[in-house]
Amino acid sequence: MARNQALMIEIATGDPRPISKQIVDGVRMKIATGELQRGMQLPSVRGLAMQLTINPNTVAKAYAELAAEGWLESRQGLGLFVAPPRQRLSRAERDKRFDEAVNRFVHDVIALDVGSDEVLARLDLELQACAPKKTA
Amino acid sequence: MSDHAIETRALSKRFGSKLALNHLDLQVPRGGIHAIVGANGAGKSTLFRILLGFLAPTAGDTCILGRDSQRLTPEDRGRIGFVNEEHTLPGWMTVQAITAAQRRLYRRWSQPLFDEVLGHYHILPEQQIGELSRGERAGFNLALALAQGPELLVLDEPTLGLDVVAKRAFLEALMYSNTSDDCTVIYCSHQMDEIERVADNLIILEQGQLRNMSPPEEFCARVSHWVADIPFKGPDPRTVPGLLQLQRLDGLHHFLVLDQDEGFADFLRASGARSINSMPVGLDRAVNGFLAQNHAAPAAA
Repeated sequence: MARNQALMIEIATGDPRPISKQIVDGVRMKIATGELQRGMQLPSVRGLAMQLTINPNTVAKAYAELAAEGWLESRQGLGLFVAPPRQRLSRAERDKRFDEAVNRFVHDVIALDVGSDEVLARLDLELQACAPKKTA
Repeated sequence: MSDHAIETRALSKRFGSKLALNHLDLQVPRGGIHAIVGANGAGKSTLFRILLGFLAPTAGDTCILGRDSQRLTPEDRGRIGFVNEEHTLPGWMTVQAITAAQRRLYRRWSQPLFDEVLGHYHILPEQQIGELSRGERAGFNLALALAQGPELLVLDEPTLGLDVVAKRAFLEALMYSNTSDDCTVIYCSHQMDEIERVADNLIILEQGQLRNMSPPEEFCARVSHWVADIPFKGPDPRTVPGLLQLQRLDGLHHFLVLDQDEGFADFLRASGARSINSMPVGLDRAVNGFLAQNHAAPAAA
């Protein structure tokens, strides 16, 4: 059954993203790539805080956000676990975030003067690398 | 019982013609770790000294743990731990003599916690304070303050001069020791990377007044960095809304601004900008820009 899983993420101070956001991004990425699988247990708040030498409240905040978005679920008295995949955001919220992300990306890339074929090919490659790895 | 760990009302302190604290209204809730930052001379140490009753205010009131700072009893003081940047203890006393005295003084003294914190340093019981290095004194002071089981811990630049290992040990003791769970920590530092890791709340003092009180990430979100390509001279700095810092680098104008939304792009466009980019900034840059705005600087050449 589920064992406490090592969470191999790093945070950086001085980054424009707050530390709690870096944790949220890191965990979402691990779940998206299948490195963290459904039912796996996350480190305790205190454990992850000590691993990263940060305030436990920061970890609690990141976990709360991940739970609210449906990435994690808490089991009474046991801790936090990776939730089964489902539509994690409302349709409207998903569309809004997708728009924002695309806008941000286009803004950044357009200034680089890279051909759109090259952009699409690279994007395809990166997304494939993030797809969950098929296990037998 | 007051909900606030510390509270000041219209607090002023004047040294000669200099106003170190200027009608300061500050309310720090109980619980959590609160970082106070400010330029040198912003009034942080003066505030601590008044709060702890070492110094009388020129005007206004201060309460600490619900008690009037100017009328603290020995029992009240027992609920407050204080570590200052000088780590002042009598140089001729030995480590064990001071430890024994403190142990007798505080009812909630925790020897295991004291040993745990001090275990990170090579300090011998028979050593005199005067023989300890700055970092060792810092560790010894923190161990004393934590072991007394305070409800409020006031730390004035506690990690100044500590090596990387000692600093990490210090932060771990502060954040993860069991007694720190129900303790409020007020903590003054210039080290933003540390504050980012440690603080629940960021308090910014400037020229004796309160300028910000929010979680560090909320403060960061108030500051943004804009780069615009403006031919010719660019707007008069006095007309730039929320301007903290202006630099001209390689012909581009860099603006660090406070509390500006997308409307700032319109301002830049109206000022003749051809290309406009903006980005968020990290805590260090945000605080730096914020304090640089009114920081003392030599008269412009």
